[in-house]
Amino acid sequence: MAKLDQGPPNYKEMLPPIIKENYGKWQYHEIPQPGVLKHVAESGAALYSVRVGSPRLVSIDFIRDICNLADQYCDGHLRFTTRNNVEFLVSDEAKLKALLETLSAQGYAVGGTGASISNIIHTQGWVHCHTPATDASGVVKAVMDDLYEYFESMKLPAKLKMGLACCLNMCGSTHCSDIGIVGVHRTPPRIDHEKLRKTTEIPTLVASCPTGAIRPDPKNKSVVVNEDKCMYCGNCYTMSPAMEIYDPRNDGIAILIGGKVSNARTAPSFSRMVIPFLPNNPPRWPEVTEAIRSIIELWIANAHKGERLGEWIERIGWEKFFSLSGLPFSEMLIDDYIFARETFRTAAGFKY
Amino acid sequence: MGRGPANPEVKKKVLEYLAKVEKAKSRDVAVAIGEKKSDVDDAVKELTAEDLVEYLYITTTYICLKGKVKTPNS
Amino acid sequence: MTEKKTPLLDELEKGKWPSFVTEMKRAAVKSESAGELLQVLERSYVEHRGHWKHGGIVGVRGYGGGVIGRYVDEPETYPNVAEFHTVRINQPSGFFYNTKTLRTICDIWEKYGSRLTNMHGSTGDVILLGCKTEDIQPIFDEYSEAGFDLGGSGSCLRTTNCCVGPGRCEFACYDTLEACYNITNEFMDELHRPMWPYKSKIKFSGCANDCTGAIARSDISVIGTWRDSIQFDQAAVKEYAAKNFDIQGLVCDKCPTKCLTYNSQAQELSVVAEDCTRCMHCINMMPKAIKAGKEKGASILIGGKSTIVQSAFMSSVVVPFMKMEAESDFEEFKDLVRRIWDWWDENGKSRERLGELIYRVGMGKFLRECEIPAVPQQVFRPRANPYVFWQQDDLDKSGTALDGSKL
Repeated sequence: MAKLDQGPPNYKEMLPPIIKENYGKWQYHEIPQPGVLKHVAESGAALYSVRVGSPRLVSIDFIRDICNLADQYCDGHLRFTTRNNVEFLVSDEAKLKALLETLSAQGYAVGGTGASISNIIHTQGWVHCHTPATDASGVVKAVMDDLYEYFESMKLPAKLKMGLACCLNMCGSTHCSDIGIVGVHRTPPRIDHEKLRKTTEIPTLVASCPTGAIRPDPKNKSVVVNEDKCMYCGNCYTMSPAMEIYDPRNDGIAILIGGKVSNARTAPSFSRMVIPFLPNNPPRWPEVTEAIRSIIELWIANAHKGERLGEWIERIGWEKFFSLSGLPFSEMLIDDYIFARETFRTAAGFKY
Repeated sequence: MGRGPANPEVKKKVLEYLAKVEKAKSRDVAVAIGEKKSDVDDAVKELTAEDLVEYLYITTTYICLKGKVKTPNS
Repeated sequence: MTEKKTPLLDELEKGKWPSFVTEMKRAAVKSESAGELLQVLERSYVEHRGHWKHGGIVGVRGYGGGVIGRYVDEPETYPNVAEFHTVRINQPSGFFYNTKTLRTICDIWEKYGSRLTNMHGSTGDVILLGCKTEDIQPIFDEYSEAGFDLGGSGSCLRTTNCCVGPGRCEFACYDTLEACYNITNEFMDELHRPMWPYKSKIKFSGCANDCTGAIARSDISVIGTWRDSIQFDQAAVKEYAAKNFDIQGLVCDKCPTKCLTYNSQAQELSVVAEDCTRCMHCINMMPKAIKAGKEKGASILIGGKSTIVQSAFMSSVVVPFMKMEAESDFEEFKDLVRRIWDWWDENGKSRERLGELIYRVGMGKFLRECEIPAVPQQVFRPRANPYVFWQQDDLDKSGTALDGSKL
């Protein structure tokens, strides 16, 4: 019989001795080289964390591999970051070089620290989600391959955090990312009335729609969708296989940029849409990787040192960003949802 | 949610109410049977452990009598 | 093991970034379901569409969440992934592991599942990706025996998460690891037995850098801060200066309130503490020389969420400062969130997140009914309209003119 409600494993049992000894007594940190953090405690003790990118979707063989490395170099201690990187916790400086050499020889991706691009937070996509408008892991792989030089170096104006969500429910952390990649459906669900009658409890289906766009149609023993209210979330497909929303010719990707969560310098901010649609073009999504690279290169060329993507754009103005980037502006980029008004320019001053 | 064992009276009323409906949010059950929400939550906790009631996730979580609501694939 | 080809996915084994396709193939060596998952995914790459369905009640006895049902849409073609459910395992605070714990996770999953995982899901759990319905209870039983518990799914408190905190960060203003562990254990019913209008999330960040993205990704965001002045180590300031670090340009000029002054002659920093908003910029830039104040705690912000339904919301301040050191501080926090959850549970419509409810009924009502004092720190600026919902009980309702005659 299973024990209920015992809660998560106790973190105290997971901490290496150097952390237990210097808990809450860390004094400062530096980044001696890309991918390596050095934290120094008041006691003078130094902990090296070696950051390694992971695809997030990993086999248990991968986990056992990193366990073997952690046993060999870190007395069995490691952690993961919020952005799905692995961090080897090296308390013995003598082992640092050997670990880095082994990681390099075995092809691990070391980096993601300081003014670099870190791992892209992402969702399940075609691997496991039921309402994806694009794949997640594949797009991330294509983008990270393309931007790899910025992962293993620290030559960007500031840190760059990216997120990918495979539909507009935005489960990935895209709404406050420097660059958000968002899968978009653009057409309402298709109702298969016959299948619906066989498989679906209508009240349950009606209840599943967040905007109330689905109404019962008793005459037809089915439902109708008010297409003006549908925002293409796919929740109805959750409850009924007769409400398919995928649409290979119309699903794709939108790009939102300029968000952040940190309070440093400027308040946290939402990412803003700059490209409403790019096609799904697997396996390498070249339109997406090119668009993102262009934005990043423009930022590198124009930002002040230390300026995150959104801070740079807010300084020069979004209208200036569009003229510099050459990205087409259209009414699709002007908000027409609930809080649209706060984005309208209620001032007579602007640039071209 | 309160703490401690549930009131058998409330458990009985929850079961009776759920027999009359397809599924419900536990708040709606509390309102319908005139009991405190926290007492209903305690009752539901025990009823699910007894396999009489189950949670049903349809973009929000409902409760229903075990096996009453069929969803695709169940 | 399947011999079928996956030419499109094979393209994603090239390149320098670690490949999830390689990982799927490694899992597929010993797992038929992982092999079939590759086939399903290759087909998605050809057809530009997904092949998964949600639905069906799956779970373990006594819990209302922690497992998410997933089915392939053509079970006849792909029998090994006909049922391919996700199990969420509650992670240890700060994602710290010893290898014994990680190996235990692998060994149990190897017996029942696809050998595939996400380390970790966006909310924080260890995600075990792909198992059959009949195996869910045995999987839970074994993990439970080994000291693990399930995370949240459905209309419950979702798995809580925190930053690395005092475990390895000099910026941490409170013990995020302990707060997360302690408070998670307090709310086991709320985590495992969904009873609310919708989901609710708590994230613990040790400072305003907010490495967990608490302000954007949680209904209740606990963000470390301090109440007194930042502290300087002027000797360390001189070290930065000696290395030609641009203190004026990169630190002072970017201070949002211009409260920080650099005396380049003396090579010393000074601050007008009352003007500082504790944004962390100067501390980030000069961690050896600038530290947080001594009187540390956390700001409590609420209402954050992603887009569905009423747009994405950022959390906003409700309690500017709360101590987060002793057990009694945690108790105060727990009392506060209980009041907030009870109010939301009482007033929220189905599928309405906390922030959306406050937006619908008003912050004033929320503060009054949750007994939280209104303070200027809660807003950027006060209202511009005169539409105050006056509390009629507080007014003179005698209905008489100033001379006492009836109105």
